[in-house]
Amino acid sequence: MSASSTQALDYLESLPGVDHKKLYQLPSTVLAVFRRLLPHLAKTIVAAMLYMPGPLAATDLDAWIRPDAKAEKEQAVTLLQGLHILSIDQEIPSKPVYRLSPIFAKSLRQALTGGGNHRSFGIPCNTPETEKKDITFLDDYARQQWEAILYYMVASTGAGLRSAAEISTGTKILLSTGNFVTNKNSRVSITQVGFTFLLQEVNAQIWSLLVVYLNNAKSLQMEHVDIISFLFMLGSLELGQDYSAENLTPTQKHMLDDLNDFGIVYRPSPSSPVFYPTRLATTLTSDGSALSNTSLSSTPTSAPAAGKGYIIIETNYRLYAYTSSVLQIAVLNLFTKLKTRYPNLVAGQLTKSSVQRAIGYGITSDQIISYLATHAHPQMAKSNPVLPPTVVDQIRLWQIEGDRMKATHGYLLKEFGSKDEYADAVAYAGNLGVLVWKNDVKRVFFVNRIEQMKTYMTNKAAAVKKGKD
Amino acid sequence: MVRATKGVLVQCDASIKAIILKIDAGNSDFIIEELDDETLLVKENKLKELQMLLKKQLDDTLKYPEESDSD
Amino acid sequence: MNAIDATDRTFRSPDAPPPSLLTIILDTNPHAWAHLEPTLPLQKAIANLLVFINAHLAFNHSNEVAVLASHSQKIQWLYPTPKPPSHNLTRPASPRPNGASNGTHSAHDDANKYRPFRIVEQQILANLSALLASTTSSDLSSTTTTLISGALTTALTYIAKAALAHAPPTDPSASLNVADPSPTFMDANDGTTSRARTTLTSRILVLSVSGDLAAQYIPVMNAIFAAQRQRIPIDILKIAGDTVFLQQACDATGGVYMEAQEPAGLLQYLMMSFLPDATARDFLVLPSGGAVDFRAACFCHEKIVELGWVCSVCLSIFCGPPEHNQCLTCGNQLSMASTLPKPPALIQRKKKKKKRAAGDGASAGVTPSGTPGPA
Repeated sequence: MSASSTQALDYLESLPGVDHKKLYQLPSTVLAVFRRLLPHLAKTIVAAMLYMPGPLAATDLDAWIRPDAKAEKEQAVTLLQGLHILSIDQEIPSKPVYRLSPIFAKSLRQALTGGGNHRSFGIPCNTPETEKKDITFLDDYARQQWEAILYYMVASTGAGLRSAAEISTGTKILLSTGNFVTNKNSRVSITQVGFTFLLQEVNAQIWSLLVVYLNNAKSLQMEHVDIISFLFMLGSLELGQDYSAENLTPTQKHMLDDLNDFGIVYRPSPSSPVFYPTRLATTLTSDGSALSNTSLSSTPTSAPAAGKGYIIIETNYRLYAYTSSVLQIAVLNLFTKLKTRYPNLVAGQLTKSSVQRAIGYGITSDQIISYLATHAHPQMAKSNPVLPPTVVDQIRLWQIEGDRMKATHGYLLKEFGSKDEYADAVAYAGNLGVLVWKNDVKRVFFVNRIEQMKTYMTNKAAAVKKGKD
Repeated sequence: MVRATKGVLVQCDASIKAIILKIDAGNSDFIIEELDDETLLVKENKLKELQMLLKKQLDDTLKYPEESDSD
Repeated sequence: MNAIDATDRTFRSPDAPPPSLLTIILDTNPHAWAHLEPTLPLQKAIANLLVFINAHLAFNHSNEVAVLASHSQKIQWLYPTPKPPSHNLTRPASPRPNGASNGTHSAHDDANKYRPFRIVEQQILANLSALLASTTSSDLSSTTTTLISGALTTALTYIAKAALAHAPPTDPSASLNVADPSPTFMDANDGTTSRARTTLTSRILVLSVSGDLAAQYIPVMNAIFAAQRQRIPIDILKIAGDTVFLQQACDATGGVYMEAQEPAGLLQYLMMSFLPDATARDFLVLPSGGAVDFRAACFCHEKIVELGWVCSVCLSIFCGPPEHNQCLTCGNQLSMASTLPKPPALIQRKKKKKKRAAGDGASAGVTPSGTPGPA
C-alpha cells in the first residue's frame, strides 16, 4: 500500500467504534474503505464472508489460509477488527467464530448490487454539454490551486518566488496548524514536516493535508464523520461530470468551499448549487496506477515540463534538470547544490553536504531517491535500474552516516513467568507484526504497538486464573 | 506478572552506545534500561535532546575532509 | 513534480498488488440452461455473476473485466461491447446497438450505484438479451453444445492485447514481443516472469453448463497450451454437464476446478473460490479438482478414448486404424502389423501402437505387459 492510503488508514483506525458504525451506513464509504484501505488478504476474507449465511468458524478460516501465510492472516484479521469490520465471537469458547459487522456487510452488498435509496454515489446534474467544464479545464484548475499551496510553502525558503494564485487564509491557517509551516515574526518558514510533505507524491500530499483538516474539524464545529464520508464519496465520482450540492449536509457544504480552495473540487461560483470533482478528488480512493488507464492530453500551463520526467543524473553525481519551473527548481534545491541555470535547464551536483542538509530538514534518503526516480528523464527511465546504483547507494550511505542510532517508540515487555509464556507472547507479537526486538536470554521484547498485546495478556491471565480455580 | 514499560528502543552499534552512556553519565536522565550491547531503552521525552547531544558529540570528534568543488 | 497528471506515477510501491484482468466465459447454451431452470434460472445466475463482477472491480481500482458469451452457434462479447466499424472480427450477424452510448444517459440520475458498476451491468444485460433475442429456432435445433473452443481462443487474444496495452511503453523487450512472441516463451520456460506479465495478471473463468465437447478436442487443447504458455490460469466452475477437457485445462494451467454441487449457491462459490486473484491465491488453500481425467479424443471420430492408435510422425490419435493405413492428419503411410483388426489393448510386438499416457491406474497398468513381448 502506498503512503497515502496508510495515512488515511491510520486516521480511520484511531476513530472509536461508534464513528465506524456511522461511517459504514453509506455504501460509497464502505466501498472506498474496502477498495482503498484494506490489504489484499483482508479483502479476500471479507468478500468470501459477505454472502455467507452464517458466521465463519475460526478453524475454517485457518483451514482456508495457507499455514505459511499465517502472519498475513493475523495482520488482516487484526486490522479488520480494529476497523470494527470483523468481530470474533467466543460464545462457545472452544469454537470461536468470526462475524462481519452487519452494517458494513449490508452497505457493501448494497454497493455491489445497487439497492437502496442512499444516493451516496453523487447526484449528477444535467447541465447542457455546452456549459460543462471539460476535463482539461478541471485539470488546469486543480493544478493551479494545488501548486499555489506548494509555492506558498516553498516560497518561504527564500527563493523569492511569486505564486500564480494567492491561497486563502483558511488554507494558510491549516498549513500552520498541520505544522507544515510556522509563523515566526509574521514571516512564514517551512518546517521539517513541510519538507517531507513537499517530496511526497500528490496523492499522499492531499491525504496529509486532509488528515490535518479532519483533525482540525472539531475546532470548526464540523462533523468529522460527515467529512470522511464526503471525501470517500468524492473518490467514487467521475471526472468531468457535474454533481448537485443540494443533498449535502451543512458540514459538507462548508467543506466544498475549502476543497475548492485546495483544487479538489471546482465550483463555478461560491453559491453555485453544482460542483465538479477534479482529478485530485477522483483519485482520492484509487491507486496512482489506476491513472494509467485514463489519458491526459492537456499540457500544463504553469510549468511546461511538469508531469514529464526531466531529471538526468550521472554516475559522478551531476544532475541536470530540464525545467524552468521555479517550484521544481526550489524542490531540487532542497537536496542539490545547484550551480548553473539556463533558460530551460538547471545543472547542479549532489554533494554530501547538500544531501545531509536535506536530511537535517527531515527529508529521508528514500524520499530523495524516489523523487529522482519518479522524475527521471525519459532517456534515463529506459535504463534499468533507472538511477545509477552508485548514486543511490551513496545517498543512502550519507544518510546512515548522520544517523547512527535507530529509535523506535513503543513498549518493553518483561518479567515473564515462564519460558513458554514468553515464547507464546513473542510468537504472537511476531504474527501481529509489532515485534521490534527481543532478547531470549533475558526474556524481554519490544513492541511498537501495545493494544493487541494487552488484550492477549489479559485473556492469557484470565485463562491461567481459570486453570488454577 | 508481565510488565510493560513505555519508552523508545534505541538500536545502535557498541561505539555509539558508549557515547550515549557517556552523555548519560553526566546527566543521568536519558536511559531507562540497558538491554544489551547494542540496545537501550530511553525515555520518550528525552529522545530529541539525546539525538542532538549525540550529533554534537560526533561532530566534535569526527572531522570530515573538506569537499572540493572541482571535479 | 507535483504536477497533477496521469503519467507520472510510474514509481509504484512494490507491495501494491498488480491489477488483474478477469475474462469470464459464460456458457449460454440454451439447451443446458433450459435443463437447469428448476435449480438455477439464467436470470439468477446472471444476477449472481454481476455481483461477482462488481466485487472483482471493487477489489482494485485498476481491475478489469471482460465477459464473453459462448453460445450454441456463435460467440459474442458481452462486455466490453465491440465497436462494429473498427472490428473486422465481429460477426456481421451481430446487430449490436452500442450499449455504452444508449445506457449512459438514462442512468445519469441514479445516485445509488457506483457508476463503473452500472456501466458494466447495463452493457452485459443489453448484449445478452440481444444475443438471446437473435437466437432462432433453427440455431437451436442445429446444435446442442457450445462453442467453448472459440470462446477460449477469443479470450486469449483479448488478454494478449490487454497485456500489451499495459506493458510499459519504454520497455524495449515488451515492444519486441509485439512482433515476435518468442521472448515471452523463453521467459515462461526458464521460470522468470516476462515483464509484460508483471503489469497485469490475467485469468479466465469459464462457467460451464454443457457437456459433450469432444468434437472440439483439438482447438480446446490448443487453447489450453496457449494459455499455459502465457501463464494464464483457466478456472472452471462446472454448474452442469460433464466436461473432460476443461478439467484438463485447469490442471495444465494451474486454475481452480470446481463442480457446483448446489447450483443455487452459485454466488458463494464465485465469491469464495473464484474471486481471489493470483496475488491472493498465494495465501490460500485452493480447492483441488481431485483426480483429473486425462483421456483424449480421437482425431477421426471425436470419440473419447482411453487407449488409441497414435501416428508415429505427428502424434495424431485414432480410435482405430485409419483407412488405407494413412494418417488422416499428416498423410504418412503407416505400416501396420498383419494382426490389424485386433483391439489395440492387446500389446503386440510390432510398433505403431502407443497408448496415450494415461492418468488412471488401469491403463498405466497395461504398460508393463508390453515388456514380456521381446522376452
